[in-house]
Amino acid sequence: MIPLTAIQPLMSAHGISPGEKITPSLPVMPADQPGALAPAQPSGDSFSTMLGRMVGEVNGKQINASETVNNLQAGGDVPLHQAVIAMEEANVSFQLMVEVRNKLLDAYQEIMKMQV
Amino acid sequence: MINILSGVQSTAAALDAERTRLDVISENIANANTTHGPDGKPYQRQVVMFESALQQAMNGGQATPTLRVAGIEKDQRPFETVYAPGNPDADAHGMVAMPNVNIQEEMADMISASRSFEANLAVVKNARDMAMQVLAIGKH
Repeated sequence: MIPLTAIQPLMSAHGISPGEKITPSLPVMPADQPGALAPAQPSGDSFSTMLGRMVGEVNGKQINASETVNNLQAGGDVPLHQAVIAMEEANVSFQLMVEVRNKLLDAYQEIMKMQV
Repeated sequence: MINILSGVQSTAAALDAERTRLDVISENIANANTTHGPDGKPYQRQVVMFESALQQAMNGGQATPTLRVAGIEKDQRPFETVYAPGNPDADAHGMVAMPNVNIQEEMADMISASRSFEANLAVVKNARDMAMQVLAIGKH
């Protein structure tokens, strides 16, 4: 929830509306820099704190999924679909984390390529 | 908590409820010829009652509408009696009370329940696909 709401004002700033086709281009990159995200934070958390919390939540989902599957295999009162949904949630949130990491790395490399 | 697959909480509850319904249907079909239950009477058909409910999110957020099984009630329709004098459960006239389970009705119910289950699974799959497509926005 937190990273998505932080990006919303940026989306409107770039004129992205749900109806439009979004073309990935380089000018979008600076949006992922820590400095660009900081003003959108209402509580004043740093970007690294936010990222750390997100990684923690993804880890929590992974743990929850493995616990559910363990419980199911141990013959606990867990329906099959709940285990699969927990695994899917863990998978999708992990993908989100990987995507955020890729974007950060892209932005870093973009800056490193800059001529001094 | 990140809500990655939105709307999946109520779908999971629906899947749970439909599974209970399928369990009860299988019980009904299994006992379609049971003339002697623990109380000495023929098996009485069971029906699942659903009710909508509000589920409070774990982090104290907004309550999401969902559903749950309100209870499993007994079908009050009368038993059908058949002539079977050889059956130990037959009365003085050789009539045996059979369970009020209609196999055709149960099969139709089973189709309906499994289709509802399928529909809810499609919702989960769609929510997952949407999330994955959104994550692919930035891909070159």
